Amino acid sequence: MIRHLRGTLARAGIHRLQLALTAVALVVGFIFAVQSRTEQSIETGLQVSSGRLGEVAYRYRAEDDRQAAMRAEITDLRRAIASEEQRAAAEQRVAATLADELRTLRADAGLTALRGPGVAVTISDSRRPLRPGEDPNLVLIHYSDVRAVVNMLWAAGAEAIAVNDERIITTTGISCVGTTILCNTRRMAPPYRIVAIGDPEGLTAAVQSRTGILAQLRIFEFPVTVILGTDLVVPAYNGGFVHRYATPAGTGG
Amino acid sequence: MWLPILGLLAGLALGLVVSVQVPLSYVKYTAIAILASVDTILGGIRAQCEHRFDLWVFLSGFVVNTVFAAALTALGDLLGLDIYLGAVIAFSIRIFNNIGFIRRDLLGLVWRDRAPEAEEPG
Repeated sequence: MIRHLRGTLARAGIHRLQLALTAVALVVGFIFAVQSRTEQSIETGLQVSSGRLGEVAYRYRAEDDRQAAMRAEITDLRRAIASEEQRAAAEQRVAATLADELRTLRADAGLTALRGPGVAVTISDSRRPLRPGEDPNLVLIHYSDVRAVVNMLWAAGAEAIAVNDERIITTTGISCVGTTILCNTRRMAPPYRIVAIGDPEGLTAAVQSRTGILAQLRIFEFPVTVILGTDLVVPAYNGGFVHRYATPAGTGG
Repeated sequence: MWLPILGLLAGLALGLVVSVQVPLSYVKYTAIAILASVDTILGGIRAQCEHRFDLWVFLSGFVVNTVFAAALTALGDLLGLDIYLGAVIAFSIRIFNNIGFIRRDLLGLVWRDRAPEAEEPG
């Protein structure tokens, strides 16, 4: 069979050496095509020739290491951020506490308007006609009357008081200037509306007591009204604080 | 002479059609192996032209040269030495030599009267 084939080939002018050459050429052509295609894909993929693959691999590993280091750094930084945030939150709590305290102190000092339940006492000069020979002082509201009402309200547990929208603070004095009353630095004329925030029942009981100032005023027919309020507003003190001589003693309260 | 060329073209076509890829780590070795086999084929053609072709010398040369070239490259990689450069140079020189001889043999075939003078270098 093989001999027959060889004879046929030989007659056709084809020798076995040519066949061998053909086979080898086929193999070489195949490998060459595959190789060049591989090389092409490397070059399009990595933009380097296959000879520099080692270098590429080295760089890849280096970048990989660097990336790993960066990831570790990211983790560290995230942790640092978290701890900083916690610290900031703690500081914010401190700041919030301070702000709370400041708000309380400002309210205590009378620098913020306050609202709440309480009583509004209104007193005015008497409308009773003056009889001949009578002292006109008898039908006028004096600064001492206003001060007495304010003092009584303080004593009954009022938390904030304003007279005609002028807030009573620690340095407030109520005095008389001619025919008007001076409260803080403002002159006032009747009617005087004294608003106090506190327990309405307690405050009312205090001002309405039989021996209290309002009872005396009523005897002299001064118009007096006491109104219980559930939402009264005491405005903020809007004057200045002058400390020309006093300085903080340092030891505090 | 046309049959080996046909075989080469068929191999090329087959390699382009079949989706086989050389593994990236062996690309360098196959490149050297191709160089070695090209050298062997040219040597075979030259031997055929000079009428001293031996099938077994040719086939063993093809296999051994190819494998040895790849092995040498691998050894160079192992030692961190570019031994494959030596193989590339050696095979390139041999390829040019063989081409030169084939050219002269073919020239001698065409102009038989000038064949004895075809001894000048180049």
